[in-house]
Amino acid sequence: MKDYFMSDVLVEQGGFLQGKEMKSRKIRINNPDNDRPINIFIGTAVILSIISIFMLNIDWIMLFSRVGELAGVFIELSQFNFTNFDLVAVAFMESVTVTLLATLYSLVGGLLMGAFMARNITPSKKLAGVLSSYNSFIRAVPTPIWVLLIIACLGFGPAPGIIGLSFHATAFFARAFSQAFEEVPQATIEALQATGANRIQIFFSAVLPASMTALIAWSAMRFEINFSESTILGMVGGGGIGYSIAASVTGYNFGRAGISILMVFVFAYCLEIMFTAIKRRMKA
Amino acid sequence: MSKPLIVEHLTKSYGPGSLAVDDVSFEVKQGEFVAIIGPSGAGKSTILRCINRMVEPSDGRILFEGNDISHVQGKKLRDARRRIGMIFQHYNLVYRLTVMQNVMHGRLGYMSTMDGILNRYKEEDKEKALKLLNKVGLLEYMYKRASELSGGQKQRVGIVRALMQEPSLLLCDEPIASLDPNSSKVIMDLIYELTKEWNISCIVNLHQVHVAKEYATRIIGIRQGKLVFDGPPSELTNVMIEEIYNTSMENLMINGEVRAVG
Ligand SMILES: Nc1ncnc2c1ncn2[C@@H]1O[C@H](COP(=O)(O)OP(=O)(O)OP(=O)(O)O)[C@@H](O)[C@H]1O
Ligand SMILES: [Mg+2]
Repeated sequence: MKDYFMSDVLVEQGGFLQGKEMKSRKIRINNPDNDRPINIFIGTAVILSIISIFMLNIDWIMLFSRVGELAGVFIELSQFNFTNFDLVAVAFMESVTVTLLATLYSLVGGLLMGAFMARNITPSKKLAGVLSSYNSFIRAVPTPIWVLLIIACLGFGPAPGIIGLSFHATAFFARAFSQAFEEVPQATIEALQATGANRIQIFFSAVLPASMTALIAWSAMRFEINFSESTILGMVGGGGIGYSIAASVTGYNFGRAGISILMVFVFAYCLEIMFTAIKRRMKA
Repeated sequence: MSKPLIVEHLTKSYGPGSLAVDDVSFEVKQGEFVAIIGPSGAGKSTILRCINRMVEPSDGRILFEGNDISHVQGKKLRDARRRIGMIFQHYNLVYRLTVMQNVMHGRLGYMSTMDGILNRYKEEDKEKALKLLNKVGLLEYMYKRASELSGGQKQRVGIVRALMQEPSLLLCDEPIASLDPNSSKVIMDLIYELTKEWNISCIVNLHQVHVAKEYATRIIGIRQGKLVFDGPPSELTNVMIEEIYNTSMENLMINGEVRAVG
């Protein structure tokens, strides 16, 4: 039976098969042309990582001999120092509010920009292109740099943190949301156009609900990122718990640094649990 | 009898050198049930989509309720569209939303932008939706997500959404092409009865010639973008069918289908 089939194929497509597959007697099922970009990507990544290891000139022996000291640091951190805990608590709350506000502002901005950037619903393809490259530029510059620039204008404190974070997160949301909008089937949008609904109505009645799961998933993810970024921002002068950690460590007050780090960890962990639960419920 | 739809010399070309629709003219009287048949790629969908301007005609005129709508834009276009219901092969619902939410979308064309955004549908419209859902047998599904329905049920939601527009014309692009024979009959019966009850004109693209013959008061045959037949089902002879599909009867599976459905 098998032989019969093979000979059949050979008769019909002999030329095509003989050249490649018949030599090894194995018939390949993938198309090498499709895999080529992936292979190139993986190859480049491997080469670059090998080069980086040599470039960095890491003293591996010293690194390993010092690993023991890391445990010492952890022990010092775990001897919590509760003096002036109120200051730490205030700093922590500041980080949480910075995160909340930055996420809220960037959500609004991201939704608006995303709607204009999504190719399937934008009122102007040109505007979509302009917004898209503007956002790529914003995202290409890391958040701390934006915050430093804004600190240069506004001075230290939470305000530059909020603005800098929102800047970056808005660009992130705009990109993520516009892609979510673009995944809404054209047919669904057409069905609403056919009812005589206008552009804005179609956006709110069809596009937004159809992409809601994706929007919530992206928002949750970005909220987590915003929180961890807001702690880093504290270290460059954006206030909050990051500042508390940085100041405690440089002042050798490891006990206070430890409690600050623990608070960050617990909060991030709770967020994670909460968002996982929300996502599970949305799918059900 | 008034003529809510007049299609004059409709021509559509998607690119240079090929005409998807080639100088097609026909009229539809109020309450008429017209079936368009023709082979795949003949231009049936294009004709339908030119009528409500989902596709821009290259040439010719569309007169709907006495107005030339072939070039209107913006508000005028939406005003015309809300009087033309459309039913799709793949239903095209918002599957995350409930049956009721999908059905109410049919009212958006009559509402202000703000009312649409805030879902402020009129209570009387909602009552009407319930009556229609009851009529198509979906009342108990009103709060179910559209994604949880079967194909036939989804199409019934599509029908109610279109009827909520209070259309004077209903366009159906292969409404039963994705359904089994049983659901197909339910859907065709519903479209037939509801359009008759409200005296809505109806144009249905169909792949099944026997279904066209069974329901239509008039049949239009399209071949390679050209109108090659326009008459009552009784005049659609086997010779004519062979002409439309450009092949002989035994290649058409028509007899087989007739036997399968009874
Ligand atoms: N968006 C488009 N862009 C370019 N060509 C198109 C487009 N839509 C349709 N066509 C072409 O126009 C011709 C008519 O297509 P149309 O979809 O109207 O046919 P149809 O009769 O509805 O076919 P089917 O029965 O398969 O649905 C086809 O040759 C098709 O390839
Ligand atoms: Mg079609």
